[in-house]
Amino acid sequence: MIISKDLKVQGGCDPAEQYMFMKFIGNQMVGKNYHANEVRWTIFGLLLVLILLSCEQTYPAVHLTDEPFERLSEYHFFKDQLNQLSPNNRVLPYDLITPLFSDYALKSRFVWMPPGKTATVNDVNLLSFPEGTALIKNFYYPRMDSDHMNIVETRLLVKRSNGWDPLTYIWNEAQDEAFLEIAGDFKKITAQDPTGNSFTIDYAIPNKNQCKGCHERSRTVTPVGPTLKNLNRIYDYPEGSMNQLVKWKEVDYLTGYDMSRDTAKLADWSDPSTNVHDRALAYLEVNCGTCHHQEGPANVSGLRLDSHESNLFNLGVNKAPVSAGKGSGGRKYDIVPGKPDESILVYRMQSLEPGAMMPEMGRKLVHKEGVQLIRDWITSMPTTE
Amino acid sequence: MPVDSSFAKTLQRALISADSGAVIQIPVGRFSFDRSISLDGIDHVSIIGAGKGKSILTFLGQKDGAEGMLIKANNILLEGFTIEDAEGDALKIQDSEHVVIRNVHTTWTKGAKSTNGGYGIYPVACTNVLVESCEASYASDAGIYVGQSKKVVMRKNIAHHNVAGIEIENSQDVEVYDNLAENNTGGILIFDMPGLPQANGGRVKVYNNISRDNNFENFAPEGGVVSTLPPGTGMLIIAHTDVEVYDNEITGYKTLGLGVISWFFTERPFDTSNGYDPYYKNIYVHDNLFMRKKAIPDLSKEFGQMVNALFIGKPQDIIIDGIFDPEHQDLPTICLTDNGENLRYTNLNAETATGIPDLKKLLDHDMSKLICQGTSFAVEGIEVE
Repeated sequence: MIISKDLKVQGGCDPAEQYMFMKFIGNQMVGKNYHANEVRWTIFGLLLVLILLSCEQTYPAVHLTDEPFERLSEYHFFKDQLNQLSPNNRVLPYDLITPLFSDYALKSRFVWMPPGKTATVNDVNLLSFPEGTALIKNFYYPRMDSDHMNIVETRLLVKRSNGWDPLTYIWNEAQDEAFLEIAGDFKKITAQDPTGNSFTIDYAIPNKNQCKGCHERSRTVTPVGPTLKNLNRIYDYPEGSMNQLVKWKEVDYLTGYDMSRDTAKLADWSDPSTNVHDRALAYLEVNCGTCHHQEGPANVSGLRLDSHESNLFNLGVNKAPVSAGKGSGGRKYDIVPGKPDESILVYRMQSLEPGAMMPEMGRKLVHKEGVQLIRDWITSMPTTE
Repeated sequence: MPVDSSFAKTLQRALISADSGAVIQIPVGRFSFDRSISLDGIDHVSIIGAGKGKSILTFLGQKDGAEGMLIKANNILLEGFTIEDAEGDALKIQDSEHVVIRNVHTTWTKGAKSTNGGYGIYPVACTNVLVESCEASYASDAGIYVGQSKKVVMRKNIAHHNVAGIEIENSQDVEVYDNLAENNTGGILIFDMPGLPQANGGRVKVYNNISRDNNFENFAPEGGVVSTLPPGTGMLIIAHTDVEVYDNEITGYKTLGLGVISWFFTERPFDTSNGYDPYYKNIYVHDNLFMRKKAIPDLSKEFGQMVNALFIGKPQDIIIDGIFDPEHQDLPTICLTDNGENLRYTNLNAETATGIPDLKKLLDHDMSKLICQGTSFAVEGIEVE
């Protein structure tokens, strides 16, 4: 940290760095043998104020208010240019082992908690986040015409005193700001899937109620992505690779985590070295299990797609649909062992019709790789005849 | 009437930002929606239109979402509007308490198509629901359907040209009266389905209804149980406990006036680990008017084919499968009393039968064995504002 001629502080706002700097100034003053204590402390105090103010001007800290901001930049989650998505202090990037498919959009995720606050491990192996937490998820596509990214939307989950508040910010054409939109929108997107096929879709940005629709447990809004087992992976931090949960513990974002006890780890759906059953269940849990959960909004179907489900009937094996309507695709059972082409599950994953497809929203494309995994899994089941 | 596409966002914003106690008006007009419209988590809200056929919400060309309107909130009044051409269910109300749906019309305007949405008016997992003076048509499953709910009254509704006119599924304390179900595939259905969170229904009273001329083609997509329903079904009870059916006019059916069957008879798999009871018990059918149509029973569905094979071209008034719970032989499983003279009645005694020739040997036409009085039960009354 240096002070330039106009006395504006350059450098980080790390409190430790500031402390070192003040100590240095203090020592300098002692060294120059100021005799009046009053003068010494006045100068010291002025400098402190100056540093904090200057620091504020350079990198304002993240802040949240009771009401959502209209512009994403107002939160100060990111420093420098907004669309660089460079995290501000205490804004920690994370990734999931098995993510939700969102029309091949790339995602960058961050978590921020207020100073002094920490998430805890609750008894069902889920994370309990403190009030003031912000989960930040950016959805973007590589541009076809340049090296830049096209950031479509940034979704926030902010934990307020009365619960989680889902907020969606839509990025402008200039990519220098994103604006709050509660009613959702559609955006024309042209991009490529992993096999290089280009596609153009009306990408659907959810309205606030649609956010709630998936982030719901027993009618309460809740995060669904960052669970202990889905976070339990290595992340390449700027300062080196590290297990995310260990990192969260290290920066005091997580307490009550015991590395030797909390070993549960979700299978990586895309890792062919893992067995197909575990991968399929991980995929279904993340892509379907947010709703198809005992306490989720699709519990009324009786179909439960989470990796803990051991009752095959509840998982859909030889289970007739209840209220699928045209979603059945003329097939009789959710899963017919050995027969993916007779299984409703596969039909609905392959459908793009709003009233038949699954998930019900957030998808305009078939996730070919995901469908293949579920097909392989059903094929691998012993036939019951 | 010109179509207004700008109202959709206005209404959605109003439903997201509503304060408790809000009355949200839908003006006269025809309004188009490209995604589901929803109310989530804001209690004491009324959504009021200018009347059926006056305030019309059309979802033709809907791009996103599995229903037309979705409600998840308590103390709700929905009154005076029409929902047309939803991609999925037209009006779904889930996990809500104290709901009144009055003078609402749900329909699909392109006629009877298997691609129409499943349900018209669809409260599910709700408590204290009143559905009155509504109209539902062209649903590919049920026009008015209540599932896994408690304390429900359905009265003065008209359901026509649906696969099922009115359907009660896994619901408790339900009164269905003064309704008209005509020109559906089946008029009134009372089902208990396996594999659902609310495992069993109970205490259903169906009285003063007219179920007539329900001979409409079955246009449900294959898969759901209703897809097996033969055209020409007045009323069908599956695996339910405590149902009293009285003072109804069940007329003009070409296949079957009333069927009472256990889940076994559907030959579909089920799971009893959640307490599901596949048998029917205490079904008390008395003082109804049965008047069959002079026609050849349905030949399009297995059940209709069976009626034709067993009774050679003669519509039947009452058929029961005769599969009784061996554990509860002491209860009056079913009583058929004072339903008129010269009824064509058959107990199929289907327990041990495999195939039509077998069934033919076991038929029992003696209804006098079932002249009895059902065990009386009280239906818990609803509480709505």
